[in-house]
Amino acid sequence: MSSGALIFQSVVLGVLLGGLYALLASGLTLYFGIMRVVMIAHSAFLILAAYLAWWSHTRLGVDPLLSLVVTVPLFFGAGVLLQRLLLSRLRPATLTMMSVLLTFAIAVVIEGLLGYAFTGTQRRIQLGYGAANLELFGARIAVVKLIAFGLAAVALLTLYLLLKKTTFGWSLRATIQHRDAARLVGIDTDRVAGYGFGIGLATAAVGGTALALDTTIYPSLHWHWIGPLMAIIVVGGLGSVPGAAAAAMLLGLTQSLLQIPLNTTWAQTIFYLALFATLAFRPQGFFGGRLAQRF
Amino acid sequence: MTTRMTTMRWATAFGATMVLALAGCSGGDDGGSSSDDPIVVGISLPLTGDFSEPGKGVQRGYQAWAKIVNDKGGLLGRQVELKILDDQSNADRVVSDYEQLIGQDQVDIVVGPFSTRLVVPAARVAEEYGMLFVEPAGAAKEVFEQGFKNLFYAAPAVADDHYNHLAEYILGLPAGQRPATAAYAAMDDPFAQGTAYGLKKKLEEGGVRTVVDEVYPPNTTDFSGIAAKIASSKADIVVGGSQYQDGVNLIVALQQLDYQPKLAAFSTAPTSPEFAAAIGNKTEGILAPTGYTQKAPYPSNVEFVEKYTAQFGSPPEEDEANAYTTGQVVAAAVTAVGCAEQGECQQKLVDWVRNNTVETVVGPLSWDATGKPQGAHMIQQWVGGEIQIVLPADAKETDIVYPKPAW
Repeated sequence: MSSGALIFQSVVLGVLLGGLYALLASGLTLYFGIMRVVMIAHSAFLILAAYLAWWSHTRLGVDPLLSLVVTVPLFFGAGVLLQRLLLSRLRPATLTMMSVLLTFAIAVVIEGLLGYAFTGTQRRIQLGYGAANLELFGARIAVVKLIAFGLAAVALLTLYLLLKKTTFGWSLRATIQHRDAARLVGIDTDRVAGYGFGIGLATAAVGGTALALDTTIYPSLHWHWIGPLMAIIVVGGLGSVPGAAAAAMLLGLTQSLLQIPLNTTWAQTIFYLALFATLAFRPQGFFGGRLAQRF
Repeated sequence: MTTRMTTMRWATAFGATMVLALAGCSGGDDGGSSSDDPIVVGISLPLTGDFSEPGKGVQRGYQAWAKIVNDKGGLLGRQVELKILDDQSNADRVVSDYEQLIGQDQVDIVVGPFSTRLVVPAARVAEEYGMLFVEPAGAAKEVFEQGFKNLFYAAPAVADDHYNHLAEYILGLPAGQRPATAAYAAMDDPFAQGTAYGLKKKLEEGGVRTVVDEVYPPNTTDFSGIAAKIASSKADIVVGGSQYQDGVNLIVALQQLDYQPKLAAFSTAPTSPEFAAAIGNKTEGILAPTGYTQKAPYPSNVEFVEKYTAQFGSPPEEDEANAYTTGQVVAAAVTAVGCAEQGECQQKLVDWVRNNTVETVVGPLSWDATGKPQGAHMIQQWVGGEIQIVLPADAKETDIVYPKPAW
């Protein structure tokens, strides 16, 4: 039986998938940590970045990875503006609720504009090395998946160092932990929150590019992603970046392994089962403290 | 609720009868229809809404047919005139459109709209009025399970029969070469799944063991899991019931795992003009069934491609060809029977189509009692960097390559 080989192959694919999920979920959990904002539009920005990578490759002939030079600063700027101009105007009492509506609207606008600009046709970046692969103890690893995983790892590591080692990171974490106390020690929490939002959106730029390397994109694809990503950040503990990363890895791996006995449709339900179990038994999440006490 | 529905139906039926009766009274001198009266062909098409893209393709096909027929002097010496209504891709609208075309506008002939969802309600109206109903779309088996007696699908085959030529070829191989195992992956969609499962059924009966059988939702974008299952099963052949992008994604995922089957067949995707670029030109040996190709050697197809291209500036695709085929079937019946009007003539047309074979741009067509075409799709294969017809033998451009070279 080759089932040992199949399991190993699925583990490899699961780890690669989990790495991508971790990056995609990290931004989402950051927004919640900073502002208690549920950012429905995160995955729409992801798809937007994927389209920009596709567009620059197809129309300008640039390698999709190079598009990051433009999209990362662009998304950072867009994130700061989004926070300062729109989200900070919401009333604190109803912030979480209203942010769902506001970012839902933003997601729909992005989807509509993408559809208008690029039509609903499914797109895929056609890379010369799209089918290239390496062998690792009998399992095959696609080069594009490895690049996506590498991007995710680098982005997450950068985020970690930024939060842990820089003064800005400390003030951001202070803002996440206790906004009033942070303000008392002299942190300009509004500005920090704006930059934090920018960083969250910048991760979407990296994630979207990684996503575009190996999958099909279409304007409404973000609805397909937001559910699993929301499930990941709840399982990981809202606001906790390491929690989101751990949950992403675990769920990605489980999804990949579940595809062996089940089919694609049922394997996806793991996200919702995990979400349900978390909300029922451990609402603060399995990996992070309550509303991101740590990190 | 039920009584209200019944009442409404009676009212509709009564209304329709009145319209017919009135038309019958006024149309006393209509019976002999003078030879310069045009033959009016009524069609409802989804020109806006969900199906507007293929709907417009079907419209162009009908327009090309009318023009080519009229340039040759029309049918029975009468010009053909199309009366096209827009049903906005709406199944309720399509019913009232055909009611209007037949009852009020008194068209001589009706032909079908686009897509299964719209074909079934439209065919029901045509059936009530006893009209011949040849249609260009609606390959799903539900269409033929409604008990329609006047419906004919003007294409070579329904989804389940697309791969028939390939099944015949595989099962005809000598025992040593014949594949022993097969892997199937199909989109959860009646058309795409129908193609793969049609082949699966025939191969299983012929002794080819199924080792993987996967169905994925239409929005699937990551095929690595499915590909891993197929690759580790080391199946001799792989069959994909695909539309377009899912087929491309699955092939790339299989190539990433370095899976090398002896035969790879995917529906729809490989016939698309962008296919080769989409999978980085690693197309060698990939098979696909096709209902229509501009290169098909049938005489009327050569004429169709040339005149269509002159009229619209680009060669016809499958939707256009299916509409044109529909026109050809109607024209053959009208010419043979010698009439084109409502009333008794329609039954004669139906009987003629039922009992005859029509030469069309997609080859000779004939139908069973449910209106299901009796043919199979041609099989094309990527050989030497271009897609060529390999089956059936009488239409082939080159020999089928089996086992396929590595991709």
